[in-house]
Amino acid sequence: MDEKEREAWYQFHHRKYGIPSDHLRREFEAELSGQNPVDAPLEVPDKMEILFKYSYGQQSRFFRELRENKAIYGARCNECGKVYCPPRSHCNDCYQPTEWVRLEGTGVIRACTVQHYTTSAFIKKLPFICAYVQLDGTDFLLMTNMEVEDVRKIAVGTRVKAVFREERHGSITDFYFKPIE
Amino acid sequence: MRDVAIVGMGCTKFKARWVDKTYYELAFDAAKMALEDAGVDKDRIDCAVYGIYNDFFQRQYQPDAFVHDYLGLGLKPMVRVNSGGATGGAALRIGYAEVASGLYDICLVLGVEKCADCYNYEVAMATPEVLRAILYTADMTYDNPAGRTAASGFALAVVAHREKYGNPTDEQMAKVSVKNHFNATKNPVAQSPKIITVEDVLNSRMIVEPFRFYDNCLYTEGAAAVILASKKVAHEITDNPVWIGGLGASVDYVMPGNRPNIYTYESSRVAARKAYEMAGITNPLKELDLAELHDAFTGTEIMAYEDCFFCEEGRGGDLIDEGAVMPGGEIPVNLSGGLIGCGHAVGATGIMQTFEIATHLRGQAGERQAPNARRGLVQSIGGTLCTWTVCLVLEN
Repeated sequence: MDEKEREAWYQFHHRKYGIPSDHLRREFEAELSGQNPVDAPLEVPDKMEILFKYSYGQQSRFFRELRENKAIYGARCNECGKVYCPPRSHCNDCYQPTEWVRLEGTGVIRACTVQHYTTSAFIKKLPFICAYVQLDGTDFLLMTNMEVEDVRKIAVGTRVKAVFREERHGSITDFYFKPIE
Repeated sequence: MRDVAIVGMGCTKFKARWVDKTYYELAFDAAKMALEDAGVDKDRIDCAVYGIYNDFFQRQYQPDAFVHDYLGLGLKPMVRVNSGGATGGAALRIGYAEVASGLYDICLVLGVEKCADCYNYEVAMATPEVLRAILYTADMTYDNPAGRTAASGFALAVVAHREKYGNPTDEQMAKVSVKNHFNATKNPVAQSPKIITVEDVLNSRMIVEPFRFYDNCLYTEGAAAVILASKKVAHEITDNPVWIGGLGASVDYVMPGNRPNIYTYESSRVAARKAYEMAGITNPLKELDLAELHDAFTGTEIMAYEDCFFCEEGRGGDLIDEGAVMPGGEIPVNLSGGLIGCGHAVGATGIMQTFEIATHLRGQAGERQAPNARRGLVQSIGGTLCTWTVCLVLEN
């Protein structure tokens, strides 16, 4: 390929996959300018992507309460009284229906670690805390990440409270946990 | 149930990247080696089980169908197994059932994974994008948005274990890393043969506390295959069958809030107990000659010593301190190098571990041969905080 053809190749793949053109040039310039032998492995870019419009099913109220009322709800089993958060429509032990209970939004860290390396999607947040929080009044652990100035201040037993974001989308990330000072 | 033997096996080199092979081409290489090892033609295969973990890795949904096609096994039945990191062990379990049930006489069990085609253009590395693909296996509604990695899940369990028992310590974990990298230097298929010191491990950069760089396995591309046969057919095919004497499997709650604790891997304890019961083992430390345990992380291997009942709960660190799990020790662990030294080609890993134990039981492990190896354990685990475990006891 000549330079004009290569530029068209970069623009096409940039539009198709959203990969910056300079990254495409760095990765594929040698190949496209004919430097690789004809039998060498040929690499090309690709992306897998699917759009959704999905339903939260029986957990819908939980997410609507987050978005509309800045409230966290658990689900209490009518039979054994166990309170789930994340909520579920039926107890996984008794198989009986649950009912909604409003939670305080406070809790305690049951396990935690500090991530210094992570996935592409979260790399800009490093370092951050990855923890299981048990909300007061529940029998469950909720996985969460916490961005704090000093990761050393977070440990097993640290009391935390949920803080709601100004902009809420009806997702689990509508709130985050902060240590209670 | 009928007795089931391994009559043939093959394993490609485990590498960071096989840029010159697709996933089905890697699968073909492993299948060809296994068939040649067994000395049978592919037409004798009655059915196949494929262990393939992540569809994103392969850039293909239902990759099993394309492997089956490429191996030329058209019109034979097959099934694909996906149980996270335990995919290889789970595939062996299904293959065992196919033959033990009497439904089929010869079953190909093949694991393959090609992860490093995932690529993060911004940092010009595969790993963060590999981790992003894996993050789709976390609960999409509640856990995925927290950005956890496989390492952080297993780290949380190790941290909880430390809270309760005070170990594994950083030094104990480092010793496991040194051992497994060293063991890999004797294994021709290993990805990470290295002579390193405890200080090298402790000085390597922090990944997810308490795991430093050398506490982690690396992502690997590769394929491994075994051919299983019924007793009658096994004796006809080979003079050195390796028998599956025990098998146990367990799947824990994937949402750890449903578990009574997170400082042990309960699925491993259940699976190991079942496998030992079936094999008639009452004292695993004495009755097993070697083990391949799923050391995705050094701390996880130490917890596995406890969960496979090599010692009391909370005493796993002692086994590495005392040298029992070293080459020549009472129960050498991960003579292949394990996931840390040999590599973790997810769907292929449990089958690579089985290949390793069977190689020792056949007396073909060369420089790394465990002396008088008669019986070995394979532990294959996966999922958030060890959701899946499959344990196999292999005997000669």
